[in-house]
Amino acid sequence: MAIRLAVVVALVAVFVLARVAYRRWRAGLHAESRAVPALPDHLVAGAARTWVVFTTPWCASCDTVTSHLSTAEPDSRVVKVDATQHVDLADAFHIRSAPTVLLADSLGTVQRRLVGATAVADYVRIGQ
Amino acid sequence: MSERPQPIDPRGPRFNQAVLCVALLAAFVLDLPVVVPVFAVVLFLGAAFGPRYGPFLRLYRDVIRPRLRPPAELEDPRPPRFASTVGTVFLTVATLAFLAGADTLGWVLALVPAALAGLAAATGICVGCEMWLFVARRRHVELVA
Repeated sequence: MAIRLAVVVALVAVFVLARVAYRRWRAGLHAESRAVPALPDHLVAGAARTWVVFTTPWCASCDTVTSHLSTAEPDSRVVKVDATQHVDLADAFHIRSAPTVLLADSLGTVQRRLVGATAVADYVRIGQ
Repeated sequence: MSERPQPIDPRGPRFNQAVLCVALLAAFVLDLPVVVPVFAVVLFLGAAFGPRYGPFLRLYRDVIRPRLRPPAELEDPRPPRFASTVGTVFLTVATLAFLAGADTLGWVLALVPAALAGLAAATGICVGCEMWLFVARRRHVELVA
């Protein structure tokens, strides 16, 4: 019984350490992702607010997200970027899944990053 | 023609993994090998028939999820189902080992999915899911989330 308990305690300790290490790693990635460059001029085109929707050909919800944003924010520019066609751009902005949506100001500075259709819907519904 | 799978709340499989891990570790400490086939069946139901039929997935969906905020992201259901299939295989072989009197082998086989489930529940790193995704990416399988 004591040996078994020791095995379980060791396993739980591994889980806790793994969780801490993983969270630190994710926090590092997050900090890295915040140091993103400005979006290129051809995407922003001087608009006060530009939503850039990173999609993939197999993304089921990307079209819905794009039309949702266009309807909810008629004064904003909404641009779709196929991450599989613009790999350098997707890498530069640390795109890991689709849809990932970036909101940029007129200078191309990223103001907001939303990952997933639900996050976009919540953002549009609740506002900033 | 196969139906396109519906994306799921990823917290459901994580809850299932947490329950599996706690139950198997408790069974190991208390030397209750009967828990192993029970969880083989639990995993099998979720893996074979979908989240609606997994008891703890159903518990999460019907009781816990309504009390939580909506998930930030959704997940393709196939990777966690594959992970459950792998877990089912381990627990089934562990059960056979217990029946054959090889208790040490049985616990080793049962602790593998327990450890992997604990890792997934604690960190979100699901080894079985990654195995499925590794193959899916090479076969250009379309993900639904």
